[in-house]
Amino acid sequence: MKMVVQQLADDVRLKEGMNACMNCGICTAVCPAAEYFEYDPRSIVVAVQSGNEEKIQQLLTSDTIWMCGQCMSCKTRCPRSNCPGIIINVLRKVSQATGAFVQSRLGRQQYLIMKTIGANLLRYGYCIHPSAVDIQNHPEQGPVWEWVYSNREEVYERLGANLDREGPGAMRKIATNDLLELAVIFEQSGGTVLWQSIETHSKNKAIELGLVDSQGNPCMDLYTNYLLNEDPEF
Amino acid sequence: MKTLNSDNQQLFDKEIAGDDYYYLRSCIRQNFFPGAEKVFLDILTQKLGRKIIDDEHHTTCSGIGYHTDIVPFDTFQAIIARQFALMKEKGAVNAVVSCITSFGGYHEVLETWKEFPEEKRKAQENLKKATGRDFDVPKNIAHACDIIYKYRHEIARLAPYKLVNTHTGEPLRVVDHVGCHYAKIFPDKAVGGAEKTTVLTAMIEAWGGQPVNYPERRHCCGFGFRHYLVKPNRSYSISNARKKFESMQPYRPDLILTNCPGCNMFLDRWQYALAQIEGKTYSDDKNGIPVLSYEELAGLLLGYDPWHIGLQMHQVDLEPLLKRMGIAYSAEAKYRNAKGIPMTPPKFTGCLE
Amino acid sequence: MTKKKHIAIIGGGIAGLEAGSVLTRQGYKVTIIEKENKTGGLLNHWSSLFPDFSLPGEVLARIQPENPDLTLIHNTCIESIKKENGRFELFDKRHLKLYADALLLATGLSVFDASLKEEYGYGLFINVITSSDFERIHKAGQKLLTAQGDPPKRVAIIHCVGSRDAKVGNGYCSKVCCITGVKQAIAISRMLPECEVFNFYMDLRLYGSKYDALYLEAQKRHQIQFIRGRLSEVSENQDQSLQLKAEDTLQGRPLRMQADMILLLTGLEAARQNENLCKNNHLELDENRFFKSENMQYHRNCSRQEGIFMAGSCICPMSVNETLDSARSAAIEVDNYLTQKER
Repeated sequence: MKMVVQQLADDVRLKEGMNACMNCGICTAVCPAAEYFEYDPRSIVVAVQSGNEEKIQQLLTSDTIWMCGQCMSCKTRCPRSNCPGIIINVLRKVSQATGAFVQSRLGRQQYLIMKTIGANLLRYGYCIHPSAVDIQNHPEQGPVWEWVYSNREEVYERLGANLDREGPGAMRKIATNDLLELAVIFEQSGGTVLWQSIETHSKNKAIELGLVDSQGNPCMDLYTNYLLNEDPEF
Repeated sequence: MKTLNSDNQQLFDKEIAGDDYYYLRSCIRQNFFPGAEKVFLDILTQKLGRKIIDDEHHTTCSGIGYHTDIVPFDTFQAIIARQFALMKEKGAVNAVVSCITSFGGYHEVLETWKEFPEEKRKAQENLKKATGRDFDVPKNIAHACDIIYKYRHEIARLAPYKLVNTHTGEPLRVVDHVGCHYAKIFPDKAVGGAEKTTVLTAMIEAWGGQPVNYPERRHCCGFGFRHYLVKPNRSYSISNARKKFESMQPYRPDLILTNCPGCNMFLDRWQYALAQIEGKTYSDDKNGIPVLSYEELAGLLLGYDPWHIGLQMHQVDLEPLLKRMGIAYSAEAKYRNAKGIPMTPPKFTGCLE
Repeated sequence: MTKKKHIAIIGGGIAGLEAGSVLTRQGYKVTIIEKENKTGGLLNHWSSLFPDFSLPGEVLARIQPENPDLTLIHNTCIESIKKENGRFELFDKRHLKLYADALLLATGLSVFDASLKEEYGYGLFINVITSSDFERIHKAGQKLLTAQGDPPKRVAIIHCVGSRDAKVGNGYCSKVCCITGVKQAIAISRMLPECEVFNFYMDLRLYGSKYDALYLEAQKRHQIQFIRGRLSEVSENQDQSLQLKAEDTLQGRPLRMQADMILLLTGLEAARQNENLCKNNHLELDENRFFKSENMQYHRNCSRQEGIFMAGSCICPMSVNETLDSARSAAIEVDNYLTQKER
């Protein structure tokens, strides 16, 4: 197995995002995640800069790297042209590739995202789809969305959209052949490998947590439920 | 005080193509504001006489997946390469992107290809093997708001309405919120740069309104990708949105203008959610501060029927704004289907009952 | 007796004046060409000097050279230099101005335009001022007041504005801003004893003799507070007070602060005319757009063009005493060159 330091360096985005940090704190100063969590993008950059295998291993298994909201406000301000947000992407990638992500609560949530956004991507050709923004999981969407959701055929039709139908237009059905191309691109460019890694490590974690069926196989419905109700430790 | 639209903006004078566009739709915009994309295309082709290709074969750019890290960078590049290949096949060179995250993503990929040509070769190979397609890098990539910005004066000339309170004659006070990925990743790709982005304020001024600055103008709306998308994480999202509302409230804005599909939705919905939690709104009424995207606003000013462009999909009602602007609308037509048959309306609209 | 050799000095700031004074005393004819209508350069704009709060006028009074062999030309900006038959020809917008046997560059500094650091709002938010603005206010004997006319209750002094910042294209340290920040913090505190003063710094680079003593004085006698974190953005509140976002990097936490005024310690840049002066000869600029030395250790005052020398802050930002030292050592190099040529 390659050292994680090397795995980070193999990602071209580390070269893009990591110049050299002088610890000025300009990134943390505007970071929405730093205001909300015990989170300090500066110290993550410093840890990656150190090249210390142990420190980076620690990051990969921590909640910390999953706190970034990817707004990239840090990129605009850095006086050394670093991009902490993109360094985070590289850490997350390696965390998922090595399975380290299942060791943290926030990391484990990648399974949920893969099963929702990921599934939407290949099923609909969209990251989100009206039928996937269900009312139970989205109370914050309010009564107007509830109305849209429950009457979506009529509402989208009135607005000249083309919901789930062939041809051009908003929310059109993406043709089978186009969806197929998307799926083959996934297969060809490493998307599938990533998902297999998320799936395998999540299943192992489910077994470790005892979330199994009568045959001892991981029960991913239980695991999903577990992830949705896991208490924050911080 | 000097307005946000100071003249010393030549630093960020970006090139925006003038015609012959290829439209790249937004997952979130289509999902929550399909009427906005519809009216954008209509303004462009019917009012401004420009040509734009609305190609049914393009898909999501996978940007939300990319920024939630379930789509690898290689895959993201190959999917974007596929969109470029579709453009090439149609002979299009000027991309118009509806989504802000896509816009940032396209530029991220292009910048990567410039600096690391082997990444481009990899994307070419991945796309070729997967689909047999080839692509060229587009000549120009604009966000849809750039196009409206470019033609803002023309729109002003065609518009029967203005951003003016018809009762007092005063310009309406408009705060803007620029999506993070429009300007923050590549400031030189944004009209006005990242710190004093002028793409929306210039529209506000051209259309008779008054752009109003507020301290947290540059703060993220709070989407946070995984923080909104995973239900238990949503408090991150709402608390960042709250920071913005708290900051803009003292300026008593008539309207929040956005250029990002996600921000447009969140700034609308979180006002409702916060009102339900805290029992208060950030406006002087129970409705909340109306939120519009640039296409929705341009459509309104140009005289499109508010319900044809989808404003009934907003939780915060637009009617108070329509009244202020003197825009005629039919209250009963709001909740009708395409056949004109009345539908059961939502349980309630606005922020507080 | 041979005719006196003639040296042209571009720039009538303290470097040019001091070098001119030394060279005329050594028996040369000197012409100083100053772009403004007054010599003294940036020193004319400063109210007091670090670290002893002495007056710039005292320095200027000592170095104003009076010598029949010294000529001063005002309001003239040299745009290009040509070497012809072993002599230098100096042009002012294509008109030949004069010949010289040796040339000394003393073009000095220009102050970074703080409005380019857009996120700090200089020129947009009325209570954001620069260190140069503060010197002007102080020199005029005025009190520091907010735009509303009130004495500020809290002032934040921001280090590294336009220095050490790839975003504005200045990767280098302007060197004298840190100590200026300490000096101005004390000046504000003396002016307004009730006012809280904070300095936001990344590294306090107090390299000079007695600078640390001034830092100590700022902390002990004036309760100036030093926060290690670089300012990320400034926004204006409705009452025109300001909101700051930084990280307190020693705590590892983001920090929000409200202040009545912000003072930006603007960095120092090489004079813009330097680039023109490098045409048609072997002069070179370094990566920071200052003149490049023949050898940075041993021949700091020698340029890449034989016969052209440099004094003071056209080499890199310098304090007043360093500038004067540099001017004197430049004069020695010029003398060596002309003496050797004679032989």
